[in-house]
Amino acid sequence: MSTDMAADQRKKPGVVIKDGWTGYSLELFNYPEHYKGDLECVYIPHGVIMNRIECLARDILEDIGHHDMMVLCVLKGGYKFCSDLVESIKAQSRSTNSRLTTRVEFIRFKSYLNDQSTEDLHIIGPDDLSMLKGKNVLIVEAIVDTGKTMRALLQHVETFQPKMVKVAGLLVKRVPHGAAELPDYVGFVIPNRFVVGYALDYNEYFRDLNHICVISETGKQKYKV
Amino acid sequence: MAAFLEISDDSKGHELSLFCVPKHYEDDLDSVIIPNGLIKDRTERLARDIVRDMGGHHIVALCVLKGGYKFFADLMDFIKTLNQHSDKSVPLTVDFIRLKSYCNDQSTNCVKVIGGDELSALAGKNVLIVEDIVETGKTMETLLKLLHECHPKMVKVVSLLVKRTPRSSGYRPDYTGFEVPDKFLVGYALDYNEYFRDLSHICILSDRAREKYKV
Repeated sequence: MSTDMAADQRKKPGVVIKDGWTGYSLELFNYPEHYKGDLECVYIPHGVIMNRIECLARDILEDIGHHDMMVLCVLKGGYKFCSDLVESIKAQSRSTNSRLTTRVEFIRFKSYLNDQSTEDLHIIGPDDLSMLKGKNVLIVEAIVDTGKTMRALLQHVETFQPKMVKVAGLLVKRVPHGAAELPDYVGFVIPNRFVVGYALDYNEYFRDLNHICVISETGKQKYKV
Repeated sequence: MAAFLEISDDSKGHELSLFCVPKHYEDDLDSVIIPNGLIKDRTERLARDIVRDMGGHHIVALCVLKGGYKFFADLMDFIKTLNQHSDKSVPLTVDFIRLKSYCNDQSTNCVKVIGGDELSALAGKNVLIVEDIVETGKTMETLLKLLHECHPKMVKVVSLLVKRTPRSSGYRPDYTGFEVPDKFLVGYALDYNEYFRDLSHICILSDRAREKYKV
């Protein structure tokens, strides 16, 4: 992934959430009424996500902000993270008088059924990614689990000969056969729990929840496919 | 008792490098204990709870300067948003008072109320006192005694933080954002001799910095 020495040294693991973390009680936060009973706890509040993103944007700008950036957003889960990350990058870049331009492209994967990662990996999106050639590419993913998606995408992107490719992952899961290599920019490292919210779904539900939460058993049954 | 978010005594907070902190404070802080975003999310919920309980009648929000101003502004914004989007809304007026009781980091026993409109205007109103932090509770108890003489309809206190300290008189506000350990905290308008008000996260002040910014 990254061959840049300085950036490697600084490759921080992100905010580490320990295995025993029980999250925050729902009664301490605001969330949509229609999900009452479907959630167990607030795992990562929206505000903390935003603060962490501000920091990732700062790090990204420092590393690759001197050339035009092509952002590749992995839909659908990545859309909120990508949108907020790019906004923060643009805002911080504005205040430093830089001439950075960012362009965003979208790509889709189908790889989850209910809450289990499946074997199938279909890449849907622009067939012609030739605009990546010679550019600094930032792949933006909401969650890195087994790392399969990330590897497949990297292989796919490399065929278009970009100048440099970096990966930003909001969440990285600690799983038994997890991704051997961490993304270059990591928001939070979390235990192996199924989380929803902030555009992460359970069969398309919960994308409209702004905190990252743990789904309850009731919720799992209610929205099961 | 009202719900609150507990920050435990052994909580080490987050490493400074994982959040955006002004460069001029990088050596003065040990860690980020409550990120700004978490403060905002908790405040949003407090606003909802407050409007649910006090929304039936004209609310006078009384801001305790200076520490309370940031929390006050954010809380008012959320209350105003709720007012805008609901079928029934409630008039909200504001006032500011100062309580002088701090020097360095030792809470002195002297409490004086400065500023504010005629406190008699509070008669018959729902008064919401907005404070940044409750430690011994003595400041709040003094203020409440004073306000009751103005015959408000209802008086409630919301404090962003309540410290777990043996010096506490046992007083608890009606609404609490976070319960925090007895460490020296700065940021989000909590100052140390006027410094750190420009820090958006709540952080633990390093021992070295306590000396550095001492009066």
